Amino acid sequence: MRKILFRVGAVLILLILAGIMMIVGRGHTIYFDNKTLEYNGESYAAIRRINVFVNGEQVAKLSKKERGMATCMGQSFSFDIEVIREKDGEPEPYHFDLSLPYGMDGIIVNLPAIMEGLPQEAWMSEFIPAPPTETEEDELPSDEFEMGGEV
Amino acid sequence: MNKQSSGKKALNFLGANSVPIMFIVIIAVCIPIVGFSPTFLLNEIVTRLSRNAFLILSLLIPIMAGMGLNFGMTLGAMAAEIALIFTSDWQIWGIPGIVLAMIISIPISAVLGLLCGKILNAAKGREMITSYIISFFMNGVYQLVVLYMMGSIIPIIHNNIKLPRGYGVRSSVDLTRIRKSLDNLLAINIGGVRIPMATILIIVAMCLVIIWFRRTKLGQDMRAVGQDMEVARAAGIDVERTRLISIVISTVLAGLGMVIYLQNMGDMATYSSHSQIGMFCIAALLVGGASVDKASIGNVFLGVILFHTMFILAPAAGAKITGNEVIGEYFRVFVSYGVITVALIMYETKKRREKAGIGQQLAAAQREGGVTRA
Amino acid sequence: MSEQIRTDDSILVRVHRALKDFGVPRLIIAAFLLLMFIVAPFTGVNFWSQVTNVFNRFSWNAVLVLAMVPMVHSGCGLNFGLPVGIIAGLLGATLSIELGFTGPVSFLMAIVISTPFAILFGAAYGGLLNRIKGGEMMIATYVGFSVISFFCMMWLVLPYKKPDMAWGFEGTGLRTTFPIDKYYGGVLSNFLKIEIGKLVIPTGALLFFALLAFLMWAFLHTKTGTAMTAVGSNATFARAAGINVNRIRMLSVVMSTWLGAVGILVYEQGFGFVQLYNAPFNMTLPAVSAILIGGATANKASITNVIIGTILFQGIVTMTPTVMNGLINLDISEVLRVVVSNGMILYALTRKTEVSR
Repeated sequence: MRKILFRVGAVLILLILAGIMMIVGRGHTIYFDNKTLEYNGESYAAIRRINVFVNGEQVAKLSKKERGMATCMGQSFSFDIEVIREKDGEPEPYHFDLSLPYGMDGIIVNLPAIMEGLPQEAWMSEFIPAPPTETEEDELPSDEFEMGGEV
Repeated sequence: MNKQSSGKKALNFLGANSVPIMFIVIIAVCIPIVGFSPTFLLNEIVTRLSRNAFLILSLLIPIMAGMGLNFGMTLGAMAAEIALIFTSDWQIWGIPGIVLAMIISIPISAVLGLLCGKILNAAKGREMITSYIISFFMNGVYQLVVLYMMGSIIPIIHNNIKLPRGYGVRSSVDLTRIRKSLDNLLAINIGGVRIPMATILIIVAMCLVIIWFRRTKLGQDMRAVGQDMEVARAAGIDVERTRLISIVISTVLAGLGMVIYLQNMGDMATYSSHSQIGMFCIAALLVGGASVDKASIGNVFLGVILFHTMFILAPAAGAKITGNEVIGEYFRVFVSYGVITVALIMYETKKRREKAGIGQQLAAAQREGGVTRA
Repeated sequence: MSEQIRTDDSILVRVHRALKDFGVPRLIIAAFLLLMFIVAPFTGVNFWSQVTNVFNRFSWNAVLVLAMVPMVHSGCGLNFGLPVGIIAGLLGATLSIELGFTGPVSFLMAIVISTPFAILFGAAYGGLLNRIKGGEMMIATYVGFSVISFFCMMWLVLPYKKPDMAWGFEGTGLRTTFPIDKYYGGVLSNFLKIEIGKLVIPTGALLFFALLAFLMWAFLHTKTGTAMTAVGSNATFARAAGINVNRIRMLSVVMSTWLGAVGILVYEQGFGFVQLYNAPFNMTLPAVSAILIGGATANKASITNVIIGTILFQGIVTMTPTVMNGLINLDISEVLRVVVSNGMILYALTRKTEVSR
């Protein structure tokens, strides 16, 4: 009886651990867009210059229409931006804490929109990578003894 | 023990350890020829040690149980690769990705190990050639799953893992998201040599587990089965079950070890990583002085160091001596196979000599008029 | 293990026993092949050209499978060390071309040159096997691998000059693969070949195999041959009967090695290319599983096993890709071949055998 309990317990622990890993380890790529966004008839203009900081380090310097990127693990993501509206203007700091949807690999954040406090559905969109163009010849496995490998 | 002259003792030592000694000679010759810097060599050896040691440790258990060299460790490697394909597809990165892959590999390894163990139990006396063929057979099944079922029956989300035709996994899977995650975890730098502490700690922990395991009842049972199956059976040990468990444990450990290996490599050759790994790990263990029926943790570490040093030096030495690096690559393959051949031959001749020795003792005792009960 | 067939058994019982002896896996394979042949015309595949393919592949491979027979007879088990013979054959082929022979003569000379190598290598290999009775199969595998990788180095280093074979400008060493249509490509297959529409029968190659098979059969009925079979069934009795067990085993190994050498030459003339370096790695398991599919076990093999086994194995290898592709547009033939051939070997290894050493 104890044996069965022990085994079931071990399996349960592993399953729970696996679940935790899947949440904690889920990786996302965040794309920052400094682009004009149309939403509900209103237009939110791109800004002269936005600097993006993640964990204190600068990850992007975006002029109008540019896109920067950062990676993150886990379901929440914080970042700071410095917004410079005119030439030699004072940088305006903003701070955002996002909770990321599990299902999206690449998440695009439209910076002008999120700065204006728009709802999530306005500034967040999914990044769909272009389908890979096949340039390399993908060799299907031969059963040749490939001894040229590294170990 | 009869008294032996020191000369004879030295000869015996040379004979028993001929393989490691041969390797030391080869390495001693090659190092000055090649001229690698000590830091470079040390770095390479530490990297390869941390990458391969766990895998080779998985070979110890079946040897203890008398099953010989477990060519079926390839099955554990396959389980790890499947687990990593899923982990990559689900975009789980870093340490959590590695832990997840290890967890997923366990049930797959266990099932494959169970299958392998059952077949080996039906082929007693021929375990090694059977496990060798099993690894080829399973390779076919693996290809069936990974090349045909993944992407079609088994859902794979990302296109960059799948082949252009829409189903089946590509021949090389990028693992950059988990690359070196374990290695970098607690890495320290000593004099230009980078030491992946977390990985080393895991390896040390595994060694301690093996030492502890040898003392448990299950471990003792395995050693008894390894010594003599019939005597163990007479002593009440379930021989078949013990052998089965030894293979399952070995396969699961091989799976975990393969995850460690692949996180260091950074990408996975989907269809060839596992087949090479079996051969090279067995060769390394044998180079460390292990034999088909006796292997210790010391053999593992000595073997990795000697074998992999030779592995790095050979192509460069070949280039320096003959101007052709490929010769060095063929040389190291030849030496790997040669080492296994020599170890197998030594094992078989020892087995026959022991059998003949027992027969002679019996004959001598009978000649002296009756066998006295010891 | 066949039970006694009593004379008063009905036909049905006898057939039932024969089938059981033949083994379920083999029946499945034979049935599968038959299915392939039946389905073939419906998939748009030309039936007769497929039959030609099977004939061709049979003619290329049969001698290699025949090479298994002597060692199984003498109790040395399945010849996993076939590469030793293959390398001897490759040496014969390359040297024959290097020495300037062309056409059918090059084939003859290749056989002549491989023979001393085969005898030499076979004797060493046989001597080794004699010292390790009981562990032949595993060690043979690795001896084979060591020999192949040793010669990988040799092919690069030996001073071959012929431009057809060696790399021209960059350096020395033989090429990995080179065609031999100028030499002995097709020399047996095209000899006396019979063409009926799409069906082409490589009579020459088939006759060559028949000749070797006949010689083998004849040998097994000589005094030495029966001694060989005796050694294989029960070495102790054979020794008691005055037979030199070690010498007979050595002879069987040399014969297997020589047949392996000739076998690879026959394969090359059919295939049209000589393949060096890593190619021999892939030739052993097909031959082993072919003879097992044909009904042999690790200690019993007959010429019938060779013929049936090669037909079944090569049939599957040939038919499955084209038929499957035509049917479901999915080519799992490669994988199927791996699973079937290795599964067959596993089946043979796990059967209970009465072996007395």
